[in-house]
Amino acid sequence: MGDNSRRSKVECDERGNPRSQWEVFVRQRESEPMCHVGSVAADSEPAAYEHASHLFDRYAVDVWICPAAEVGRYSARTLSAGGDESRVSEP
Amino acid sequence: MISISKLLCNLDAEGDGLRYDAASESSKPQIADEKQRKPVVVWNATRRCNLYCSHCYAAAETTPATGEFTTAEAKRFLDELADYGAPVILFSGGEPLVRSDLVELVAHAADRGLRPVLSSNGTLLTPEKATALRDAGLEYAGISVDGLPERNDRFRGHDGAFDAAVSGIEHCLDAGLKTGLRYTITEANAADLEGVVDLLVDVGVDRFCFYHLDYGGRGGEIIDADLSPSAKREAVSRLCDLTLDYHDRGEEIETLLVGNYADAAFLVEYALETFGEERARAVYEYLERNGGDPTGERIADVDYQGNVHPNQFWQGYSLGNVRDRPFGDIWEDESNPLLSALRNRESHLTGRCSRCQYQSICRGGSPLRAATTSGDPFAPDPQCYLTDEEVDGANPVVGDVAD
Repeated sequence: MGDNSRRSKVECDERGNPRSQWEVFVRQRESEPMCHVGSVAADSEPAAYEHASHLFDRYAVDVWICPAAEVGRYSARTLSAGGDESRVSEP
Repeated sequence: MISISKLLCNLDAEGDGLRYDAASESSKPQIADEKQRKPVVVWNATRRCNLYCSHCYAAAETTPATGEFTTAEAKRFLDELADYGAPVILFSGGEPLVRSDLVELVAHAADRGLRPVLSSNGTLLTPEKATALRDAGLEYAGISVDGLPERNDRFRGHDGAFDAAVSGIEHCLDAGLKTGLRYTITEANAADLEGVVDLLVDVGVDRFCFYHLDYGGRGGEIIDADLSPSAKREAVSRLCDLTLDYHDRGEEIETLLVGNYADAAFLVEYALETFGEERARAVYEYLERNGGDPTGERIADVDYQGNVHPNQFWQGYSLGNVRDRPFGDIWEDESNPLLSALRNRESHLTGRCSRCQYQSICRGGSPLRAATTSGDPFAPDPQCYLTDEEVDGANPVVGDVAD
């Protein structure tokens, strides 16, 4: 069995800024694996696909779209390790 | 960023090394001895803002957003930027001054060797806050004003915003902070350019940055308010005239253009017509060293959620998120075909950009404006105002440096 104790869940919400983020994966050639190429902001999956197509059409055989909020992320590295975790916006 | 005052008036500035690889030729202390190889990083430290501007690229709101970095996360993020070697961190927003830990974070950045600078609407800059930021190591404050009082306040959705911004500028100057203007040129405020410069010179400001509207955030919803290409050309020409007038009177203001690299070609044409071939060649040489539109290369943006963007306006596409991976690893990962293409865009540009004689000093202008209007980031920038004769011509100074 693998040791999963060194990883912790990356806490994050939808990562929207403010529109929802969609993770984008492309396969550049049929023989290659899917690669993560970032995310696009869009209100729906079709809109996210259209947005990603504009950016990656010329490089991609396949395009996969996934809601950023639906990805479970576990990492041995985290920005939030230790320290003051309180909110910082003044009222 | 293109300095009119450097190119047309030989005014040295702290950014000469960073911008033109001309540190050794400059009389001013330099931010960097060599032209930057790593990006200036804009950090939208918060989405929250006390104003609601119609052109805000970050689509800021008056209410807090979820997902902003805690103080601990922000410090670790700044540590990673410093370890990577980013030369400058620009604290932006939203309005960064709504963060209660801003002074602490500016101090942390300075301690780690990052050059901290600020982009603010100025309205929350009290004398005490300006002094605290100076003491923390802030190197520069850029304050946004977008027209004379009535027009600015309408643009910013708040009566009294102009006067409050000018007060903020005065508090920064009183604290000894280098302070400049940020002005986004649109159809609504182009007529106010000279009036705002005159007014702020009287206040003591000597640095003026003029931004072209880019089509990100709410800026993408007011494309109709952008100047037509011909009106844009006229506005840039007026800024060149204004800069020369000030310098002729012995007032050495620094004027810069941001966000439309057709300006680079225009400045070569302007210098040729105004000063002749020798000066135009020198201008061209500086602009070749500058390297054209910096998207995906010399400028980066990290939003309040940690998403990394190819520039501060391109908020709709993210290369990755610093909560998942350090900034430097995301930025250096050229397995991303779009990032790789942005860095080798000469072989991807289409239309008249592919044959333009000024390609090496412009590099297609804004890929965001091109993508927003045509779907293709490598199509011609819709706000290129060069004539066909200028695109296809044979300016005698062009090519000398490259050759």
